[in-house]
Amino acid sequence: MNRMRLVCWVAATLVIAACGSSGSTGGTNTSNAYAGKTIKFGAVLSILGAGGVYGPQSRDGALLAVKQINASGGVNGAMIDLEVQDDASLAATSAQKAQTLITASLDLALLGPTLSNSAVAVHPLAEQLKTPILAVSTTGIHIVPDCNWTAASPNSTPCKYVFRDSLGEQTAIPDNIKSYAADAHPSTGVLLVAQDDKFSSDGGKIVQDTVGQYNIQLLKTIPFSKNAADLTPYVTEAVQLHPDVIFITSLGAIPAKIMTGARNLGFQGQFLGGNGFNTATVSKQAGAAGKGARSASAWYIGNTFASNQDFVTAYKNEYNKDPDQFAAQGYTGIKILADAAKRANLTFTDLAGDRDKLRAAMESVNIQTPLGPFQFTSTHDVKQTVWIIEMDGAGGFKLDHQIQQS
Amino acid sequence: MDQQIVNAIFIGSIYALFAVGYTLVFGILDILNLAHSAVFMLGAALTYSLVVNHGQSFWVACVLGIAASAFMGLVIEYVCLRPLRRRQAPPIAALISTIGLALIIVAVIEQGTQGSLFQWLWVDGANSVAFPAGTVPNPIWHVGDLTLEARKVAIIPITLALMLLLGYVMRYTQVGRGLRAVAENPRAARLMGLDVDRMIALTLVISSALGGLAGILFGVAIGDISPYIGRDNVEVRGLAVIVLGGMGSIPGAVAGGYLLGIVEVLALVTLGGSASGGVAFAALFLMLVLRPQGFFGTRLRERI
Repeated sequence: MNRMRLVCWVAATLVIAACGSSGSTGGTNTSNAYAGKTIKFGAVLSILGAGGVYGPQSRDGALLAVKQINASGGVNGAMIDLEVQDDASLAATSAQKAQTLITASLDLALLGPTLSNSAVAVHPLAEQLKTPILAVSTTGIHIVPDCNWTAASPNSTPCKYVFRDSLGEQTAIPDNIKSYAADAHPSTGVLLVAQDDKFSSDGGKIVQDTVGQYNIQLLKTIPFSKNAADLTPYVTEAVQLHPDVIFITSLGAIPAKIMTGARNLGFQGQFLGGNGFNTATVSKQAGAAGKGARSASAWYIGNTFASNQDFVTAYKNEYNKDPDQFAAQGYTGIKILADAAKRANLTFTDLAGDRDKLRAAMESVNIQTPLGPFQFTSTHDVKQTVWIIEMDGAGGFKLDHQIQQS
Repeated sequence: MDQQIVNAIFIGSIYALFAVGYTLVFGILDILNLAHSAVFMLGAALTYSLVVNHGQSFWVACVLGIAASAFMGLVIEYVCLRPLRRRQAPPIAALISTIGLALIIVAVIEQGTQGSLFQWLWVDGANSVAFPAGTVPNPIWHVGDLTLEARKVAIIPITLALMLLLGYVMRYTQVGRGLRAVAENPRAARLMGLDVDRMIALTLVISSALGGLAGILFGVAIGDISPYIGRDNVEVRGLAVIVLGGMGSIPGAVAGGYLLGIVEVLALVTLGGSASGGVAFAALFLMLVLRPQGFFGTRLRERI
């Protein structure tokens, strides 16, 4: 009798264990549940135009992640197919490409777009078409959480389908200013802000709202157009005020041009900026003039997270160059989507339902990434370590501080 | 303020050099060559590529860059303009045709990346690049409160010398007289035995060579070479300059270039950065309304 009871207990335990091993998402999520299927993701990135300084690295990072995942058996046996579309840094083109990926290519989810200016056009579309979209480099205000897309039609309804794995300027710029104020005690600053894109103007507002907290007097805000033939007159205006710090909120090659111009005019202080600084392209363009220019970054090449070291090695092997923040965020974006897809019990027959399942699964992502342990906040934003970095004057960066977000 | 005046003169020189190419073609053909901004960019991009990717000396690259720009003048004539002229198409057709060529040139450079079809021409895609430090010596002089960079200062005499040379050629040489005759009345010039097509081709070669040189000087001085420098940085300003100076007038283009440079900088200093960006458009609008012929423009026969 005792032997029979023991057999029953063992059998029951095995049944429970078998059920348990089928995963937390409903029992059908075995490792080959999607075998023979293809999971289609799309990406709208800026390969050309002002965002071309950032988009190609996001693309390369994402494609590397796809290659790795497919080589290791895919997502529950399904292969990932990533279609990358170039929006040429134009908001209207970005929306048109996104619409095509969602309604014609029937992609399960999207990455992008590269620029906040384009996100203002694309994210409402994804929200309206109920398609998950993961911003991998957009950092402007209201990208998440509240989808307050335009000042003309403010909308504070939380985004349901929009997520972000990029560090918002609302975190990055204040952390950077706080860190530099503690280190160097600057008392005056001038802000040079590009007035014709959302990322730059948002950054300018954040600088204006932040400096007073650290006893930095903003002597002047100098707006400029990105299409100015020569920025020297604007830089001259800034330098002639003899500030301790020049804040630069702009995209692409402009920060480097400002740094070079200011140094030529004899500026001895420091440059502080935002995510626009955080690529080797900008650091190389600035060269010696950029030495010491500080920014807060979502990623640092030397960070010791195990998954980062693997990523850096794989990226170097694949592309024969170092990755940057944008590559890390693109790579992480695909890892997040793949992890969510794995747990989402996709049907491959009901696209709308699958998109909703993926969205729900994304909310509970908890994985190791090059950015560190990754989870979304309740408002779909990223909560992660912030790296205060400075340009080394030779095209790279060195780490100043590491700030853990509470 | 003194430094800002220097800045204004410097950028005015770039505007003037660029706009002369526009105005030269308009003066002869009565059309706007909107591929001029793409040739401006191509001159800079090709020179950069020859130096950085093909190991040429800057001066050799400069000559080749200007030669390639001049060749683009022939492409503009033979591909965009002459076929339309043969069909007696209206000027708007030529304008659209040159816009098309400009888009193609920019797209070709944009697509130039490592491993691409156009990597021999350009490998930096959409990125902005600058000549490596030391490519062109750039001593910086401090005179009183002024900071003078050699490579920016050099643009001013180069521009003025080229304008004087062009003025001399137009006024005192056989070629110049031929060009002026074509500008005055192409049919009469043909009846007088002039090869009008050849004169028009020559005009586009000179104009494009000047545009390419302006692009190279811009790339050296500003440190910004990308597929978009012509379209974004100088195209509209070039139009404003020739409207200010008088469409078709070479002295007008020079004066208009410096005037626009000064007005832009004055607007920045007095009205702030936001106002400065719109000055070119405001000047264009006001001049068209108040004095459509510009400061130097009068009648067609006096354009050149």
